[in-house]
Amino acid sequence: MPIEISPSPENPHRFQRRGFSCERAIKYFFASNAGLTLVILLLIIVFLLKEGLGFFPGYRRELEIYRIAGLEFVDISRKNLTAHEQLSSVLNRAYFAQINGQCARELKRSQEAAAVFNAFSDQTSATRELIANHEATGMDRGSEMLATLNNNHACQKQKALDSLPLTPHLSDTERAELIESIRARDVTTVGDPPLVTALAQQYASAQQQCAMPIAEWRSVIDSFEAAGADLSALVTEMTDAVTTTKEAIQNNDILENDRKSLLAAAANAKDPSERQKLMAEARDSLAEKPDIEGPMQSLMLRKPDCIATHAALRQACEGILAMLPPSLSQSDANRLLLAARKASPLFLEALTGTSQQITQWRHDKPVPLSDSIRSFLTGKDWVTGGAWQDFYGILPLLAGSLMISMVALCLAIPAGVGAAIYINQFASPVEQAVVKPVIEFIAAIPSVVLGFIGILIFGTILRDLSQLDGLAWVPGFPIEERLNIFTAGCLLALMSIPTIFSLAEDALNNVPAAFSEASDALGASRIQTTFRVIIPAAFSGILAAVLLGLGRVIGETMVVLLVAGNRIKIPDFSAGLGTFFQPSHTLTGIIAQELGEVPLGSVHYRALFVVGILLFAVVLGINATAHKFVNRTTN
Amino acid sequence: MLNPELLIRKGLPKGHFKDRIVRWILGATTYAIVIIAALLFLKIIKDGAPVIFTSKAPFVNFEFLLDKNETLHVFDDAQGVRHQLPASAYNDYLKGHNGVPIYNQQTFSYSGGGIVGPIVGTALLTIGSMVLALFFGVCAAIYLSEYAKQSPFIHAVRLAILNLAGIPSIVFGLFGFSVFVLAVPVITSAPSDRSWLTIPLFIGDMVVSFQGWNSSLIAGCATLACMILPVIITASEESLRAVPQGFRDASLAMGATRWQTIRTCVLPFSLPGILTSSLLAITRVAGETAPIMFTAAVAAKDDLPWESLANPWDLLSSQVQALPYHIYTLAARIPSSEYTQRAQYGSVFVFILLVMSLSVGSMLLRAKLRSRLKW
Repeated sequence: MPIEISPSPENPHRFQRRGFSCERAIKYFFASNAGLTLVILLLIIVFLLKEGLGFFPGYRRELEIYRIAGLEFVDISRKNLTAHEQLSSVLNRAYFAQINGQCARELKRSQEAAAVFNAFSDQTSATRELIANHEATGMDRGSEMLATLNNNHACQKQKALDSLPLTPHLSDTERAELIESIRARDVTTVGDPPLVTALAQQYASAQQQCAMPIAEWRSVIDSFEAAGADLSALVTEMTDAVTTTKEAIQNNDILENDRKSLLAAAANAKDPSERQKLMAEARDSLAEKPDIEGPMQSLMLRKPDCIATHAALRQACEGILAMLPPSLSQSDANRLLLAARKASPLFLEALTGTSQQITQWRHDKPVPLSDSIRSFLTGKDWVTGGAWQDFYGILPLLAGSLMISMVALCLAIPAGVGAAIYINQFASPVEQAVVKPVIEFIAAIPSVVLGFIGILIFGTILRDLSQLDGLAWVPGFPIEERLNIFTAGCLLALMSIPTIFSLAEDALNNVPAAFSEASDALGASRIQTTFRVIIPAAFSGILAAVLLGLGRVIGETMVVLLVAGNRIKIPDFSAGLGTFFQPSHTLTGIIAQELGEVPLGSVHYRALFVVGILLFAVVLGINATAHKFVNRTTN
Repeated sequence: MLNPELLIRKGLPKGHFKDRIVRWILGATTYAIVIIAALLFLKIIKDGAPVIFTSKAPFVNFEFLLDKNETLHVFDDAQGVRHQLPASAYNDYLKGHNGVPIYNQQTFSYSGGGIVGPIVGTALLTIGSMVLALFFGVCAAIYLSEYAKQSPFIHAVRLAILNLAGIPSIVFGLFGFSVFVLAVPVITSAPSDRSWLTIPLFIGDMVVSFQGWNSSLIAGCATLACMILPVIITASEESLRAVPQGFRDASLAMGATRWQTIRTCVLPFSLPGILTSSLLAITRVAGETAPIMFTAAVAAKDDLPWESLANPWDLLSSQVQALPYHIYTLAARIPSSEYTQRAQYGSVFVFILLVMSLSVGSMLLRAKLRSRLKW
């Protein structure tokens, strides 16, 4: 058997001579796969930036149009008008809260009776209409059919009667009377049962009675509302003028872009005759500059008018707001009244400052790029797709994301860390074997299923709970929307508990046994050992667990998209803890909701990518901090 | 009284009650989590199981699993009998009862028929993305555990893996949308307007056009694969490292090359571990909604993915329905009523069953593997 001579170093194989061999190729193949992760990360960053960075110049141009077309000028007055409307709405709400609070019993009784009757008529309407149809057509195809229909109706009626809603505020005799009157109804009976009408009348008279002592206040509110009419008319008038200018400028921008692309095409065209044609087309499409100065001049002429109207409004409001009652008997109404009292000096101050703002405003003040960045980061409105002006301000979304995360962490930290301490320190092996897989199981629930649970089950349970009289002391109860920050926070807490639990448990597990042995030897009790020795030793690990949980909560999409209520507005913090029961929108939710609908390459589309960049940066920052803490423990 | 502990801690120690209370509170927290989780499962099982399982043989409602998704029509006929029919059966009914009026008609989108489309779509997305992620992930893990030495490159790769694992799924959705849907190269004879670079191939009028794959199965698979890659790499590296160093040393000492060593002495022993942990990754891929919303999923589709295709490759470039996206549609876009509950809870139940069986499977397999492979 011939011995194969391996190539000596002096005379290597011809592949090896060139620094290349099959083995090396395999190695480089695997290395390139490892490098793929780097490529993906780079691609993510590059493409987010590529799509996102175009946002700021585009938004700057939009803001510039907003200014040179005079929309900004109108918005100075409009802002005051909105503030005025909000203030009067708060006053109105306070007024009605006062009245309804005083006759809450009548209101509830009336509502309950009506609910019973409505439930009945909803359930039986289908068969009732069938009978009516049958009679209307006049087809007398034998009473057999009619009999079937009547029979069906009777069955449905019985079923409906068996499943009427509860009426905790009606006495038993009243309920029995109501049910009896419903039972006695014929197919042809129209109108409400007598009790429903009577209760509604009772409620109306109670309302009138309660309104009597505060009739003076009613007239105050009415005159306050009326004071805004002048400003409202002025704003409407100016709005029409500036929208026309804006449209003209925007159309001009579009034409300009077309012309540029035509010119670019002409520069690339190979055929000289085609180039000529494209150039000619571009020249033709050269639109005349829209007339900005003319409308602007006429708008500027309105300045004194605006100032005068604002001064008049201020004078009127100052007098009226001074006549507000000092306090109200109903707590809800009183809260609203206090809010209005607090807001009214601010409102008056804003009105005073307006005249100066109006005189100083200039339409030719340049809009630097930093303005668009500032407007994005500190803007309080995220308004898109409107006829007036689109604003991309991140604050409402950020506020929603942060508040939801806050609720989630407030619930998940005690639960997750507490469970980890219990399982690691106190539980028997059997308990460990049962509880650990169950909690890890929660991690496997897909987030869209959690969102489904929230929207169909949890939200409804929460709303029903909040309507119980016994729980009325909880701030924010009864809740207005069943999908709100709190609902989303609860579900996200459930979602982040497994993450926090397993990482915190790992951290506790990693504390050397010598620590607890030493503590035991010194005579410390189990609790002392756990809380004074083990937890401090594992603290940075637990902190890392919490941070990673936070990263997961902020980045979660489907739950908040389904459950947070999707109202793009900074929550109204004057409600105290009740703020957490308001609907909201989030950074992740807005991307998921709007990316499918925006035109490619528009400013709105790019704004969503900027939100993505922000999210990416925030989550990476949180995770990097967490890993720093993890490394500290292992070192 | 021979137990030394009892001798030392004679009687109730001072902090005994505090001790008990703290322990009780912690225990109550733990069991509260367990009970809430159990209640949620019970609720879904209670409402969803009747849709799938029936009391008569064969005990499983295959119609729901195997029918296509349709709009549900609810109406009364002249006799006052209430009908609930999916769109196709409804049209047949109208034809069969020519001119007979119907009353109280209501329609519910996505609520009739079955969910075979979403199930198939999820299966295709999962298989496609797992094939991609396993191939690239295992190769990367082999490099990291078998070849890599300390170097700036390795450091950067590890950092990238760590960071990729933390990126929110919606950002992966944005990434997939801007890269796979809008920017990757395709070979075509008709480049689209949005292509940012075209390279002529000089074969006919074919060009390489960077215009993306549109919203399609392949774009969704690629996005999901990128998302799951760090999980696969970490898990694979762990099971590769679990193979004792002695195996490699022995093989290398026998004169085998590094690749022969990997192929014959490392991979066969770590493969079960890799596959087991990738089962867990499957549950994540199957459950994600955000990355596929813009890259692959579509709410309503009449055909199954492979029906009415000109050639088999078009399967990759067609949109699919997906179970998580279907659930999102059912939860967010249609009002809940007694007629939609069957579709809603049924879909969620099937989905939970699927995901849970995968995750239980992976847990059991892992336990079995740990007891078998000990060296």
